[in-house]
Amino acid sequence: MEEEESMEETNARIPKRPFWSGAVTIGLVNVPVKLYSMTFDKAFSFRFLHKQDGQPLKYQKVCVKDNAVVPWEDTVRGYEVSKNRFIVFQKEELDAARPQSSQKIRIDKFVDYLSIDPIYFERSYALAPDKSNEAYSLLLTSLQKTHKAGAGRITLRTKEYPILLHAYKGAMVLTTLRYAYEISDPSNLEELKGLKEPEKKELDLAVKIINDLSGEFDINEYEDTYEERIRKLIAKKLKGETIVAEKPVKEEAKELMAALQETLNQLKKQ
Amino acid sequence: MTKVEFTNLDKVLYPVANVTKAQVIQHYVRMAPRMLGILKNRPMVLTRFPDGVDKEGFYEKDMPLGTPSWVKTFRKHSESAGREINYIVCNNLDTLVWLANLAALELHMTLSKTDRFEKPDILVFDVDPEPPAGIDEVVKVALMLKEKLDGLDLKSYVKTSGKKGLHILVPIVSEYAFNQTREYVHQIGRHLASESGLVASEVSNPKKPGTVYIDYRQNSHGRTMVCPYSLRATPQATVSMPLDWTEVKKGLKPEAYTLSTVAKSESNPWKGMLENKQKLEKSVD
Repeated sequence: MEEEESMEETNARIPKRPFWSGAVTIGLVNVPVKLYSMTFDKAFSFRFLHKQDGQPLKYQKVCVKDNAVVPWEDTVRGYEVSKNRFIVFQKEELDAARPQSSQKIRIDKFVDYLSIDPIYFERSYALAPDKSNEAYSLLLTSLQKTHKAGAGRITLRTKEYPILLHAYKGAMVLTTLRYAYEISDPSNLEELKGLKEPEKKELDLAVKIINDLSGEFDINEYEDTYEERIRKLIAKKLKGETIVAEKPVKEEAKELMAALQETLNQLKKQ
Repeated sequence: MTKVEFTNLDKVLYPVANVTKAQVIQHYVRMAPRMLGILKNRPMVLTRFPDGVDKEGFYEKDMPLGTPSWVKTFRKHSESAGREINYIVCNNLDTLVWLANLAALELHMTLSKTDRFEKPDILVFDVDPEPPAGIDEVVKVALMLKEKLDGLDLKSYVKTSGKKGLHILVPIVSEYAFNQTREYVHQIGRHLASESGLVASEVSNPKKPGTVYIDYRQNSHGRTMVCPYSLRATPQATVSMPLDWTEVKKGLKPEAYTLSTVAKSESNPWKGMLENKQKLEKSVD
């Protein structure tokens, strides 16, 4: 089955449709591109069902005062200025404040890609050429040659993001960045105030351990074991087997489990 | 491995012998290959000791609240209870494990099966001493009984009761009514009593000291006997242990068969017992 096979792949699949199209603009140069989602949160998501009849449940907005279900058109946005005190915004007011989606990826300058701390990286999107291959190829090749990344901005839906445009595996990739205000400075942590300098002897030993354990980073060495177990459970359920919840065996039950296994083997022979 | 969700495994059920529920379940798991064939389709009565043998236990004829749907039950009117009873029927390992997890330490079974509930397939002689008679006297009477049954061409099987006596069983065709089997067992008891002053065949109150009573009354509709390999609610966690007849001799110590001592036993002296469906053809006299 196609669906199951796709779950076996190491890498996630590129979706069939681009979710955005526009152009990279560098000064007066335009490179028309399409954007594809490239990173995926693969955590399984489950629907909530009604226990009695297995039917899907939907969410409704319920007024906390009288428990009445409130339809979409009767809602407004409120900003909580202090506990239970709100400033109300009409939809039109918020729309007017939104950045205009310009269908442009504006590059302001080129920076050394490796100089940017990955702490800022948010989501990555694959860029594909839209109609004109030549312009795309030229920009990609020059990024590869210089090991530089274009820094700039994009407006996606209602939010403007700082972005980096860089080469990755024979493609141009756009990575959205977090704003400075979205990241806190960990050196402000109380626990880090007054850290002592380590002894030289200890430091030498620690450095030696680090050097001994040094190697190439390979993401494939890391497996999502929960994802793997859920995937197996789903495959099993699809075959119509019932799932028996298996709790971790407690210490006092280990001998018992061994006896159970032995008896089950004997009973099979009978 | 099992449908049963274990609870309170480290709870001590035999404080003197220091036996936990995990060990009780383990006992029944180990004995299961030898027990299940005999328990099959036989309604059970449980004696449960959820707080241990030193605290009050209770008889349970009707299926307990929360009996899982996969446990087989047998619905029958009980005269003693005066209502319909859903007996537990233990036909698989999961049920046995579930019963053990309920702290059903003693398992008792009927002498007939669900499909022919009025026609027993087992005769039982419950041989019990009245002090100062003890196990040596019981052994003597049991061997007399075996000889008598041999003479009637009936192969018999023996187990300790887990207390002071012995149980002697004769598997039979499921063709006789309980009043017939009861009378047959009673007759043999009377016969032995006529031959030996040691044997008592009748219920007397008070019991005659120094005699060994051959109780025939369990051969009745709805009555039960303790299952082979069942634990007993004794401080030492004794077991109702099937024996080979060669083990029934002077010096037999029924109290030596306990949860811990039988754990390693692998012999099955009752192997094929129920396939040996015998007819009660020869008359006792």
